Amino acid sequence: MPDADTNAALEIDTRFGKCAALAADVVVLPEGMPGFERCRRFVLASSPDIAPFTCVHGLDEPRPSFLAIDPHLVVDGYASPLDPVQRQRIDVSGDEPLLWLSLVHTDGDRATVNLRAPLVINPRRMLGLQVVAAQSAYPLDHPLPID
Amino acid sequence: MLVFTRKLDEAIMIGDGIEIRVLRIGRDGVRLGVTAPAEIAVHRREIYDMVSAANASAASSDAQPVQKFAARLRVRAARPTPE
Repeated sequence: MPDADTNAALEIDTRFGKCAALAADVVVLPEGMPGFERCRRFVLASSPDIAPFTCVHGLDEPRPSFLAIDPHLVVDGYASPLDPVQRQRIDVSGDEPLLWLSLVHTDGDRATVNLRAPLVINPRRMLGLQVVAAQSAYPLDHPLPID
Repeated sequence: MLVFTRKLDEAIMIGDGIEIRVLRIGRDGVRLGVTAPAEIAVHRREIYDMVSAANASAASSDAQPVQKFAARLRVRAARPTPE
């Protein structure tokens, strides 16, 4: 990517249509995601056509792209507390606000959202991880109310 | 795969910062303790595989209906909430 102005708006051709992001808004997942461990850098891209979804657009091979949605929009009282090791991995201290995105799977007329393994991002450091917990109150495939 | 036989309290070292130690051997399995730097994630294999499969499925899922689904979610969000 060019070295220029990091406030430059980018238009990205995602598989969900054209979306906008800022050049500076690259989130790093130091361990990638399960199944896509080599992809560390992602852009969070949005457009009015896909809101409230966001496109999580991978920049490293194999350049996966995902539809995502804030899990708090999907279930009331969604809570996925981070343990101290997870907090340390994304440099979270105290009560700072975090960005949560759960990946969406679409299939014909249905969509489900992975509430069990959300992405959690520290916006101050643009560092994130995907929660992989032994236990969870939530499923991998919670139905989205799209009917 | 490197294969080791370890007795209770014996350990394996990986690199210079990771250690796996046998803490207890019992009927319900072998209890292992893992010491690793915080930036190295440690997971139960089957959970990791489950999330990996879910991610693969999300990465290849159909983009065609997305704008339609998004529109329906926006309509829903705009409805006044019942008293």
